[in-house]
Amino acid sequence: MKLKFSDPQLNFLVGINVLVLVAATVLSHGEFLDVYNFQSMASQMPELGLLAIGVALSMISGNGGIDLSGIALANLSGVVAASVAPHVVSADDAPWAYTGVFVAVTLLTGLAGGLLNGLLISRIGLTPILCTLGTQLVFTGFAVVLTGGSSLRIGAADPLSAIGNEYLWGVPIPFLVFMAALLAVGWLLRSTAFGLRLYLLGTNAKAARYAGIAQDRMLTATYAASGLLSACAGVIIAARTASVKSDYGTSYLLIAILIAVMAGVRPQGGYGRMVCLFFSALALQLLSSTFNLLDIPQFFRDCAWGALLLLFLASARVDLRRLHTFNPRSGAPSRQSPPGATRTPT
Amino acid sequence: MRRTTIAAATMSTLAFAGALYAQGKPQEIVTVVKITGISWFNRMEVGVKEFGAANPGLVTRQIGPAQSDAAQQQRLVEDLVAKKVDAIAVVSMDPPTLEPVLKRALDRGIKVVTHEADNQKNTLADVEAFDNTAYGARLNDRLAACMGQQGKWTTLLGSLGSQSQVQWAHGGVDNAKKKYPKMQLVDPDNESLNDAEKAYGKAKEILRKHPDIKGFQGSSSLDVLGIGRAVEEAGLQGKVCVFGTGLPSEAAKYLESGAVGGIAFWDPKDAGIVMNKTAKLLLEGKKPTDGMDFGVQGYNKVSVTKGPGAGVIIRGQAWVEVDKANYKNYAF
Repeated sequence: MKLKFSDPQLNFLVGINVLVLVAATVLSHGEFLDVYNFQSMASQMPELGLLAIGVALSMISGNGGIDLSGIALANLSGVVAASVAPHVVSADDAPWAYTGVFVAVTLLTGLAGGLLNGLLISRIGLTPILCTLGTQLVFTGFAVVLTGGSSLRIGAADPLSAIGNEYLWGVPIPFLVFMAALLAVGWLLRSTAFGLRLYLLGTNAKAARYAGIAQDRMLTATYAASGLLSACAGVIIAARTASVKSDYGTSYLLIAILIAVMAGVRPQGGYGRMVCLFFSALALQLLSSTFNLLDIPQFFRDCAWGALLLLFLASARVDLRRLHTFNPRSGAPSRQSPPGATRTPT
Repeated sequence: MRRTTIAAATMSTLAFAGALYAQGKPQEIVTVVKITGISWFNRMEVGVKEFGAANPGLVTRQIGPAQSDAAQQQRLVEDLVAKKVDAIAVVSMDPPTLEPVLKRALDRGIKVVTHEADNQKNTLADVEAFDNTAYGARLNDRLAACMGQQGKWTTLLGSLGSQSQVQWAHGGVDNAKKKYPKMQLVDPDNESLNDAEKAYGKAKEILRKHPDIKGFQGSSSLDVLGIGRAVEEAGLQGKVCVFGTGLPSEAAKYLESGAVGGIAFWDPKDAGIVMNKTAKLLLEGKKPTDGMDFGVQGYNKVSVTKGPGAGVIIRGQAWVEVDKANYKNYAF
């Protein structure tokens, strides 16, 4: 991928990463630079990273877009798959078939959940933050009903466990999944008509409507994609923990939003780069692992993440002033009908 | 891309230097709890630190997630495995969730000890404060002594889904059936849903239905609070006996007024010490054996049985029984 080094956000993020890496190395007397440590960090990133891509996509779509239901949907998809798969094939007799069914059911559930979000937001016109808050509770509720609230062990199928715990050429498989998703979404945003339309829609919904962009379809597709990404996270969580649980990773919700905002994804919509998202997720992981390595309490980690976000927002503000001509007019009402439209806004 | 190559080269050099540096350090035992900053685990940390101070060759410390989330605990353990500490003692938030990461720890030669997880497979030793049935029976003996071994009594528990609490309550019921034929169990297994308010409502209902009831046995630490309040309001202190699991700081008020006769619990400080001591044993290449003395009150003659995985389950008789006279010795 061609990287533009003129992007101040990217430079800032890479700088932060290098800084944390150097600090961790010096403070731990080199202990930090261990191959296993990097493999461990690389396998911890994807769960959060995939959820953050979903949040980023919904933010880019504008109109106050956000997906709060990510982790709940990831858990629900895992729970549904863990409940359904054993009835279809036995994990002991046909581990590959079990894995196939498990992954397929997870992805389908995620897609269905994402579509539900998308349809509620685009057709019924619910505010994304409220809609996904509601569906988050619904998804968690379903998962609780299916499991009774406790965790459910998944069948012992080697291929499924490999998705979460094995390496390919020394790289953890979850990390490869994460990179594949990043590249796919990056390509989608950068090189396809869908991406261009999404940026336009997020930048100025009114102008996008005049330009003939089908807002309903775009929003539905965006939230469906976000649901699918949640399901990918769901597969990885199930594989990495050998179990599914309705309230796993409840703390991920805000961290995923943090990653997206720190990656420079504009909360008002219309801007966001996947390469920045990668470095943002990496920075948080490096910081978190560094603190664990140096025996710094977890409370301080949260504090440092907050400080990092503020630092980033401050730096972004300075840069934005310089790039003022690119600043989108985000205040335009998005659900205003173009003149002559027969449909009335809901 | 070139930057990556250089980084990789630097990385491997430094990794080698790091490996050399790691030689000759004191052995490190890290205790991972469910959540930091609550009084139960603060009390455990006292034990962990005490053990470290008493063993110069060891470094002990306690960590835990800031939020109550199995995912955060799993990530903490993951980082410890990467750091390759010598031993990990973990109080599992959710035993199944931790299986793969604990397996990785074992594969890397890290000694793993668990607590409150007798269903954990990937552990070398699981420390349990006591046998749940015996604990329930013991509570029942105290209740029976207070009731004069006769009269109506009932049990409360947090929820029927919570395995240990069901075992405590049923341990009590079986004990009474065997030893105290004059004690009459009425409407057992009332669910308080781990809520003192619900326990209060249930207790009031029972007092109305059975005005001649003589005893309550609670299971959730909140049960005695609810029952105590109901008994106090009815002015039945001293006439109705209330015993159950509870925390001294919470139950203090009712112990003082006599509405609750006595409570029992296990001391997290002692559990912390025994977990670390077990880890030390394993680091020395020794194995915990049946009848072993850990030198901690309640763990003087532990029972060691085979666990669900390759490891063992170490059970003490470490219930702590307190009443009005001595609850102040336990500040948590």
